[in-house]
Amino acid sequence: MEIYRIENLTFSFPEQENSALSSIDLSIRSGEFVTICGKSGCGKSTLLRHLKPALTPHGRREGEILYRGKTIGEWDARTLASEIGYVLQSPDNQIVTDKVWHELAFGLESLGFDTPTIRLRVAEMASFFGIQTWFRRDVAELSGGQKQLLNLASVMAMHPAVLVLDEPTSQLDPIAAAEFLGTLSKINRELGTTIVLTEHRLEEVLPVSDRLIVLDQGSVIADDTPRAAGEKLQRLEHPMFRSMPSPMRIHAGVGGGTPAPLTVKEGRQWLDGVLAGTPIEKREVDHRSDKEDKRPVAIELKDVWFKFDKHAPDTIKDLSLKVREGQFFGIVGGNGTGKTTTLSLISGILKPYRGKIRVGGEDPSQARPGKLFRGRLGVLPQNPQALFVKKTVELDLLEMLAGEKLSAERKEERIREVVRFAELESLLQSHPYDLSGGEQQRAALAKVLLLEPTVLLLDEPTKGLDGFFKEKLGELLKRLNEEGKTIVMVSHDIEFCAKYAEECAMFFDGSVISSNQTAEFFAGNSFYTTSANRMARHLDPMAVTEEEVIRLCRTSP
Amino acid sequence: MKRDAFSGYHPIVNFVYFAAVIAFGMLFMHPVFQGIALASSVIYSLMLKGMRALKFNLLYMLPLLLIAALINPAFNHAGVTILFYLKNGNPITLESILYGIAAAVMLVTVIIWFSCYNAVMTSDKFIYLFGRILPALSLIFSMVLRFVPRYKNQIRKISHAQRSVGRDATQGSPLQRARNGIRIVSIMTTWALENAIETADSMKARGYGLPNRTSFSLYRFDSRDRLTLGLQAVLIAVILAGAALGENTIRFFPSIRMEPIAPFGGIVYAAYGALCLLPVGIQIMEDIKWRSIASRI
Repeated sequence: MEIYRIENLTFSFPEQENSALSSIDLSIRSGEFVTICGKSGCGKSTLLRHLKPALTPHGRREGEILYRGKTIGEWDARTLASEIGYVLQSPDNQIVTDKVWHELAFGLESLGFDTPTIRLRVAEMASFFGIQTWFRRDVAELSGGQKQLLNLASVMAMHPAVLVLDEPTSQLDPIAAAEFLGTLSKINRELGTTIVLTEHRLEEVLPVSDRLIVLDQGSVIADDTPRAAGEKLQRLEHPMFRSMPSPMRIHAGVGGGTPAPLTVKEGRQWLDGVLAGTPIEKREVDHRSDKEDKRPVAIELKDVWFKFDKHAPDTIKDLSLKVREGQFFGIVGGNGTGKTTTLSLISGILKPYRGKIRVGGEDPSQARPGKLFRGRLGVLPQNPQALFVKKTVELDLLEMLAGEKLSAERKEERIREVVRFAELESLLQSHPYDLSGGEQQRAALAKVLLLEPTVLLLDEPTKGLDGFFKEKLGELLKRLNEEGKTIVMVSHDIEFCAKYAEECAMFFDGSVISSNQTAEFFAGNSFYTTSANRMARHLDPMAVTEEEVIRLCRTSP
Repeated sequence: MKRDAFSGYHPIVNFVYFAAVIAFGMLFMHPVFQGIALASSVIYSLMLKGMRALKFNLLYMLPLLLIAALINPAFNHAGVTILFYLKNGNPITLESILYGIAAAVMLVTVIIWFSCYNAVMTSDKFIYLFGRILPALSLIFSMVLRFVPRYKNQIRKISHAQRSVGRDATQGSPLQRARNGIRIVSIMTTWALENAIETADSMKARGYGLPNRTSFSLYRFDSRDRLTLGLQAVLIAVILAGAALGENTIRFFPSIRMEPIAPFGGIVYAAYGALCLLPVGIQIMEDIKWRSIASRI
């Protein structure tokens, strides 16, 4: 049965020439798992919002959207509220009430159910999602992943026929994201709920999707099974192909042919077939981490211990870390292992109760901030919005130089420099909050760069960015690093670290467990490593990036 | 906090209890009543919070009691039984000393009752009670309780981010600090407004604004609650009857006068004691029951 039918939909926002969506024709069958992808600003969210009339934006619209065979506007508000569930991006913003149980009941209260019905449905949902252990907790105590699961559960409590999700995992760490997508697939499989989802992280979601729709500048350019859609993107040489899972891209890089592998498992089998019988020189992994490095030390932590409260458990335990000048240092590791706390310790916002921290030979918590943060340490917070203060990006950048004794021309020149570097030319007159996630990240980076730091601390810079913006940010950081800036980056994004970092360290339980040159580091891990490496590690453990695996296949006769 | 049996009762039972004991504690100045109230409030607070309550009572309440008792005779010179004269010629009277003690006891009793109230009447019980009267208000309460910790958290994040560009409210000259502080509030406002849009979307998406909204709660009014509420009503009626007959009042000025202790007075005292010690009694009964069950296993 067809649940949605979109006929020739064209939409443009008020006072805008270009249309956000142009002549879209789609049909979604009941029970399908549909993934929509595309670059930021390609109209994904706008399209999703058309599936839920309560959230549809104002503007000029042509064409028709049918829900279960009837124009969607003709259904009554109560049916639409309960049958079409909508989950948004930010786990925090969607939660309305202070208690988990109240949040679960919120939608049912709106629909006017009586207490016994709500009691039953809430109990059912809590059991289905495994929420019962934190049922009576305050929402403020939950982790990001739990919050997003709660949002999903509170929508599911209304028994929707369709779930529409707008980048639901972009703010989650990889483990929580995988759990969330697993739950979605369970809902789809066991309850038959139709799922329409937009997503950047295609690696996990494609294997469970029935269909992949690729949008570009408001129109559909591919609409097929994930495998076929990926192959079509490859044929078109479309930039979105960069977001496809590693196995598929390696397959394409080698020359394609047979059906493309989607998962690591399929990729491994395919690789075995391709390389069958050819002798491969197996490079040994060099596990020594204490290689000679003559560069002076930029950041040093020695036997550092830290706890947030006198009676709290230690957050950082016996941490020793050395970052050399000009190094690009990546810190990976699970949630709550103390990665962000370490950054705060380095920037002097928190003080250790034992041990020594030196940034350029000075204790950051003792240094005068005027000195420390001017010309030495630049910190890019996890949420760049915390840095913006003015109405436009240009004013915001100017504000950064307000305290400097510089002539107006010199200031303008400096700003022009960073604007050119961060590619913000077309965005100078926009409000910082109107930029997309990737653009905000770049504007914040430009702001920090105006203080001319030699050391940059980055906290999860790729959070919520799509493949395109990630690559752009990666290139910027690489250029900065080549100019001699030391970069310390905390990230969940293994692929990003593998591609750009020079040395990587793994955090666990408040301390660094292992640290090595990036290739050796990932080659030495068997689970916590890139998918390209997981695909090829049995043949060559040192093949960490996609390019290396492709080279491996090419060099073999 | 130890598990308190009375806290498990329906919020309306909790609320009636505290409303009654706090109101009576403020109204009745009769020494027997005051003694009952003070003793019960101390016992209940000890039972609820253990050592913390003991420390609070000894460290803050006892000195407060003494100071408040001493201040009244120093300023109030009414009363007929003059004990002695101060250097400036003002008399110190027995009545003013006794009144000072009574007022101090009342103040301390009410404070301790409120500390118990805070431990028992958690925010969701309060929200629930007011939600019965005004459903919209209860949602607003719940949202406020959600947003306060969230905003606090965000302000901290902003302040940290600003500190690392040298613009926190703890950095620079006093004028600079003030300016930085205002800037942080301004960022916070922008952030709050921006992010509230998504909250509004999430509410709309879940049907907020449809007519006939109901209000769900986890509480159920069962026969145990009905029984306790009935008992409370009877006790309160007896106490009010006593009050109407003047059993509970005392006159301090110009001379002390109160009802002589009579059989009916005894009944009223017993009712007051029973009301004030109701949670303690419930707890003891549960403990005994539990022990007998546990011993049988």
